[in-house]
This record gives sequence, C-alpha cells and structure tokens, in this order.
Amino acid sequence: MSIVIKNLKKSFGELATPVLKGICAEIGSGEFLSITGRSGSGKSTLLYIISTLDPATSGDVLIDGRKISEMDTQEVHRFRNQKMGFVFQFHHLLPELSALENVLMPAIKTGQEQARRGFALELLGEFGMKDKADRLPSQLSGGEQQRVAIARSLVMEPGYLFADEPTGNLDTANGRAAMDFFVRINRERKTTIIYVTHDKEFAEMATRQINLVDGQIAGS
Amino acid sequence: MFFLAVRHLLSRKRQTALTLMGIILGAAAYIAISGMMLGFQTFIVDQLVNNDSHIRISAREELLTADSLNGSMFEDGQIASWIKPPSGRKDNAYILSPRTWLDRLERDVDVAAASPQLVVQAIATYGKVSVGARVIGSEPDRQSRVSTIEKYMLTGKFSEIGNSGNRVVIGDALAKKIGASLNETIFLASGRGMPQPFRITGIFSLGVKSLDESTIFAAIRDVQQLNLTPSRISDIAIRLMDVTRAAETASTWNLLSQEKVQSWDQSNEGIMSVFKTQDIVRNSMTISILIVAGFGIYNILSLAVTHKRREIAILRSMGFEPWDISKLFLIQGFILGLIGGVVGLVVGLFFSYMMSQIEVSADRGLGGSHMMVSFDYWIYVKAFFLALVSSSFASFFPARSAGRLEPIDIIRSENT
Repeated sequence: MSIVIKNLKKSFGELATPVLKGICAEIGSGEFLSITGRSGSGKSTLLYIISTLDPATSGDVLIDGRKISEMDTQEVHRFRNQKMGFVFQFHHLLPELSALENVLMPAIKTGQEQARRGFALELLGEFGMKDKADRLPSQLSGGEQQRVAIARSLVMEPGYLFADEPTGNLDTANGRAAMDFFVRINRERKTTIIYVTHDKEFAEMATRQINLVDGQIAGS
Repeated sequence: MFFLAVRHLLSRKRQTALTLMGIILGAAAYIAISGMMLGFQTFIVDQLVNNDSHIRISAREELLTADSLNGSMFEDGQIASWIKPPSGRKDNAYILSPRTWLDRLERDVDVAAASPQLVVQAIATYGKVSVGARVIGSEPDRQSRVSTIEKYMLTGKFSEIGNSGNRVVIGDALAKKIGASLNETIFLASGRGMPQPFRITGIFSLGVKSLDESTIFAAIRDVQQLNLTPSRISDIAIRLMDVTRAAETASTWNLLSQEKVQSWDQSNEGIMSVFKTQDIVRNSMTISILIVAGFGIYNILSLAVTHKRREIAILRSMGFEPWDISKLFLIQGFILGLIGGVVGLVVGLFFSYMMSQIEVSADRGLGGSHMMVSFDYWIYVKAFFLALVSSSFASFFPARSAGRLEPIDIIRSENT
C-alpha cells in the first residue's frame, strides 16, 4: 500500500502554464503527510492528481502498484468509493441529509447502508457527534460539520484519506480538534493521510512534510 | 439516488409545488378539454352512425347527356342532332339488383345487419299545415338491427310501423310543426298519385333538430305504394361488426359495384374535418401547457444543478458516477411527472364530472339534458403519459449537464 509519484507535470490553459514541474515522491503505507507551500505553489493540484480527481499532463501516479492513468473509469469510481476518503475545506455536506445519512452516503453507493450503519454511528460517537446524528448540517456548527465530513471520509474504512485545507474554514480550537482527529485516525487505524495546509503549526503535526515551491518539491 | 432525489424536492417545497401545479394543470386541462370535445364528438358520431348506418349503399345518380341515348334509341352510325339535348337526372334512382346485394351481404361475416330502404321526399299534411319530409321506408325488424332508432323513441315503438298498414313514426319537431300527435292521421304525398293517409304510431327524438323536423319512418311496402314504385329499393343501410372498418369496406365495395357505397364518415366528411380541426386545437393547447410546465421543470432543475455543484463534487469524490448524478435529476423530473400526472388525473376527472353536470338543453335525445363529456380511459392514459414523458424529457437536459460536471472543475471554481 503506497503511492508512487513519477515525474508528475501539470499545466493549465492554452498557454500550458506549468503548475507542477516534474514531481517525484513516494508515500508509504500509514504515512501522515502534509503538503505545504504558498498559494499557487501547486499543493492542491498535487493532492487532486494523486487522489484521482484531476488528470496529470504527464508523468505517472501509482497507487498500490496500479497506474491511475491506466485505470478505466469504473475502476476509478470503485477506487474512490472503497479505498479513498476526502475531506474538503468547505465540509461539503449534503444539506438535505442528517449527519448520519451524510456519513453513510459512500456506503449507499454500494448498497452497504445497513451494514455500515453501526460503524457510522461508532465514528460519529468517536468524534463526539453521536447525539447529533439526526441533525441537519444547518443545525451544526462549522467544527461539527467538519467532524461529520471526517466521519464520512472514513465510513468505508479507506486506506487513504485526502484532505484539502481541512482546517481552513475553522477557528483555531476546531482546527486543532480536527487535526487531533487526523492524528488519532492515522495512529489507530493506520490510514495513510495526505493533507494540504498552509498553517505551519498543523503542517508540523504530520510525520513528514512536502514543501512545494513553484511546482517543485523544495524540501521533504 | 431515489431518497436523495426526494429530499432535494422536499428541500425546495415552494418550487416543487409550483412545478407540480403546472404539470397538474396541464394534465387536468388535457383531460377536461378532451373529455368535453370527445364527448361532443361521440354524441355527434353516435347520431351519425347509429341513427343511420355504418355503410349506405344507394343508387348512383346519373345525369343524362347527349350520348346517353346512343345504343338504345339510335343504332350505330346514326348521329342524332339535338335541338335541346337530354339533361337532368335519370329516372332510375334505385338499386338495380337489390336481391344480389342482400344475398351477398347476408353471406359477409363482417356485416351484422342490412336493411333495404326506399327513401322518398314527400309532403306531410295535417289539417292545413304541410311540411316537406324525408320518408324512409324500411322493414322495422331489419332497421332496428341496423340503427338504434328504438332508443330514441319518445312515445310508441318503432316496430309498430309493421310491414304494411300505413303507419308511421315521426320526429318530435315535425309533429310539433304540423300539430299532429300520437294516433292521429297525417297525409303524405310523394308527388306521384294521390296523398295517402298514415297513422302516427310513434314519435322519436334523435336530438338533431334538422332530422327531427324532417324524418318519417314507415314500412317499405307502404312507401313503395306511396311512390308508385313497387318493389323498388333506393338504399341499403348496413351495420358492420366493426364500425372502424366502415370506410375501408365501403371503399372496396364501391370499386366493385355500380351503386354508390359510402361509409358514415365518408358521407359526413364536413363534420369529420371539423372534428379533426378540434383534435388539432385540443392537442396543440395541451401540448402548449405541457411545454410551459416542461420549461418550468427545466428551469428549476437547471437552477438546482447550479446550486448543487458542491454536492455533485462531493458525490463524485465518493465514487458516484456521472450516471448516478444524472439519475439524481432524472428521478426528480420523473417524480414530478408521476405525482403531477396522478393528481392531474384526479383533478381532470373532477373537472370532467363537474362539466358533465352542466345542463345544456332540456331535450337532447340519447344525450340527455347535460353536457356530454367523455370519460374514455384512453384520455386519462394519454394525459398521464404526456405529463410523465414531458417531465422526464424536461429533466433530461439538466440531468445530462449535471452528469458532465467534473468534480475537479467544481472544486477549483469553489476554491477560487
């Protein structure tokens, strides 16, 4: 279980403005990795390419020995559903569904709603949200919504968790709490966690940091 | 995705209600308008088909020309020079070999009944009042099997005209016009011979004024005597097993015979074309309403796709496929169409029922005194599917565009 990045390049626009300029890295199983860098350094782009959401312009990303570029779309969807979890800056909960239903959404895709229900409640309990499982996102605070989003990313027990600025929209206390959850998840569940942040303190909580400068790794 | 689609619809109750209203009104309008128009058409068709016949065989009218007498009066090679050439209708407006026709019709499995008739124009006189009338001579047994005249009898029975005995049944408007009533005697004059007395044994009302004030039924033998044309037959009225095949059968027979054969719809082409126009107006109106409702669905779902971009991105990141996302919106269109269709049926049925209670005329023969409204189940089936198909179709385009959204594009646009 590892991610291998080989000479990864990404350009945008008709003028092919390069954003990533030949990234090479290896992320081992169970790593807790932060990607840092200034705005425009390409850190989010790197995260989305290795998490299959964005195609690379050139180069390869291998997850568990499989080249993403060679996977068919069905396999990519299955991979996202069963092996990956995502946490975004803006929580992105479905506003019509309760906290528990939101957590169960990935399981609903594969018809495992009933089978995962107990685990979903367990996760919500782990993040102190069990008593709010039936509440709608609009009835939860920002920090609580992010905890629901983290629980959702874990409901399928993925090997990889990708987070893009997971604390970006939270106050310091809630941001720290979210990061503490990540640390715990990594430690207890051995989930490989890769997150993007430009908060120095939160970046340092990772066991390894990749610092991007102008689309290249400046330090690791 | 069904439960999520339902939640989406419930989360924007006002929009959903307004969209549903459009579909309901579309379906209900189709049902009410169709019910009213088809009810009217059915009533008229019933008058046309059942009061007369499915097919009518009548003597082909021939006009005399300068060549008409060649062969019979002049031998070959002789040239007649006319001061005034022969003209006008040939005096043989009768079927030349009725027996052959009747035998053939009896053997035909598609024919339910056939009634030979002699139809003559006559003047009906009662006291000092005289009115022009169309006297239809027929055998009552056969005539009853061809038309539904018996159902339209107000007093007396149609069969009472018998096979002879100078008895008639007349339209109620005609009776009123000449002031005669049941069991009284009127005089009929065909223009040949002396006027003859006929006793009124029944009065009918077909509900069509022009027929009720001019039609008289009598026994065929009596009419033959009145017209001084014994054993002559001018028409054969036919009832088919399947009325829908009338035009096709009439056209085939017409090719094979020297008589004129016309189905009920061929002889009432004018009315049928009015019906066609009505159908076009009815369908255009309904389709317009449903297009408006469809645009409502299209707009609302397109807006929903825009509003739900974040949710679409997160669903895609969870492994939901483009088709799942499209389904989410297609299901919403389908649900709106389904509920709108079902409620539209109920509302349409209610409108139709209310219309059928409106009194339009005190005396309309079989149609009764209320507005004729059709409750044909096909109207309801069509209305339901129109609602369902138009809603599903309207949701197709927003659904397709939602399915085409790439999660990374949404995330990128959200983060900038």
